[in-house]
Amino acid sequence: MFRKFYLLYGALVLSTAAFGQYRGWSLDTVNQLKNVPKSVRDNPGSYRTVYAGYHHYTGGK
Amino acid sequence: MSADTPPLSGPPKPQAKGLNCPKCGAAITLHSFGQAVTVVCASCHCILDAKDPNLAILQQFEAATREVKPLIPLGTRGKLRGTDYEVIGFQRRSTTVDGITYYWHEYLLFNPYKGIRYLSEYNGHWNDISICKTLPNVDHDMLGSSSLTANYLGETYKHFQSADANTDFVLGEFPWQVRVGEKAAVTDYVHPPRVLSSEKLDKEVTWSIGEYMYGREIWDAFKLPGAPPEAMGVYENQPSPVTINVTGIWVAFAAFTVFLLALMAFLDMRAKKEPVLHETYLYNRAEAKNETSFVTDVFELTGHPSTVEVKTFAPVSNHWIYLNYALINQDTGQAWDFGREVSYYSGYDSDGSWTEGKQSDTVVLPSVPPGHYYLRIEPEADPSLSSISYSVDVTHDVPVFGIYGLAFLALLVPVVIISFRAYTFERSRWSESDHPPMQLSNMSSSSGDDE
Repeated sequence: MFRKFYLLYGALVLSTAAFGQYRGWSLDTVNQLKNVPKSVRDNPGSYRTVYAGYHHYTGGK
Repeated sequence: MSADTPPLSGPPKPQAKGLNCPKCGAAITLHSFGQAVTVVCASCHCILDAKDPNLAILQQFEAATREVKPLIPLGTRGKLRGTDYEVIGFQRRSTTVDGITYYWHEYLLFNPYKGIRYLSEYNGHWNDISICKTLPNVDHDMLGSSSLTANYLGETYKHFQSADANTDFVLGEFPWQVRVGEKAAVTDYVHPPRVLSSEKLDKEVTWSIGEYMYGREIWDAFKLPGAPPEAMGVYENQPSPVTINVTGIWVAFAAFTVFLLALMAFLDMRAKKEPVLHETYLYNRAEAKNETSFVTDVFELTGHPSTVEVKTFAPVSNHWIYLNYALINQDTGQAWDFGREVSYYSGYDSDGSWTEGKQSDTVVLPSVPPGHYYLRIEPEADPSLSSISYSVDVTHDVPVFGIYGLAFLALLVPVVIISFRAYTFERSRWSESDHPPMQLSNMSSSSGDDE
């Protein structure tokens, strides 16, 4: 029973991996936005990134 | 009487013979017709000769263990594996190992056409037992002192344990000369869910074959009230809940891993890995007082939705540079907003030299549809940096090997869980045997010392 389940499960895992690879899945997360105005191309400063003001690491040991 | 086996259940019960105990006068009824050799008076617990018309007393024992009450009362009828049986006898037996006495119960079942079979119960674990029809083959070890395996009807049984079994308490009818205090040498071989047992009394050896049953099956078969006692621990022939061939599952896992590697190689070859942008820029702090953001040239992504890799390189040393990126589809206005830091630190202290961070960074954007795109870049840098150059590389349709890593883990985890469960179950089983896992490892290490 488990063997059958595992064979099906394994096939599903491989199919998902292949599908994900084909569709361009990624493990990195990014913020998606819609309807960015076309004026950004002419005036890049009009766009406000959500990452502005990120606290930068100034470390080292 | 018809030729077919009549059902035993339902009144009136057929009573073969009504007698009285010669000691206490209590009524005794023989249910097993001529098969009973001894019968125990339920009132005074005298063991009587069932073959004697006057029921001669064979043994009297003080039922100090009178409190022993069969879980299945004598006279109960039920259908076991499609055959009607009546419980006609009960005995409690015990064995002492390392100063600890273990008790189990045996029930004799009788069908006038099928004869006798037994049910044994230990800590809520049940076995349906019958006498072997052929003699098992026993393989002895090199010393010949004990047998390691036995073969019965083509199945190999592993030796589990050998012990002396004592009869403590009896009730009902028995097709042999039962005696309280009788000792028999019992050896069990297991092949779950079956157990092969030899019982040696004087010079007579009796082989029986048992099959594990769950308490609920017994309760259903005999329509007993309430719930069966809960099974405690793992019994010698209890079937593992992991009813699979663990080796077979590992073979399947290995096959899947090979498929996964082949898939990875195939899709890696098939991936376009198409460079669509390569630019080098200069960050200048003096100019940064004004607006620092800018946009790249437009590049086209073709084909199906796929990954876009953005790689940043900056020759920083004990500094950082941070880039606010936005990949913008100029046709649809859809954007992927992300920030990436490139920082690299190094030094020397009492522990020696150290480094931290990298001069490059890579991010892979998921499922970017085809279209015309540009990057909006807004750099920030360490205040102590006056200027620094950095390069941006954009590649379309790159494979993400992390997906294969996750797939590998997804394939591995259930196999490891199942193997662990099977291992712990078998370990519990054999820890109660004459061959506990610990002792086996001790034996092998001690034999290694001897050499």
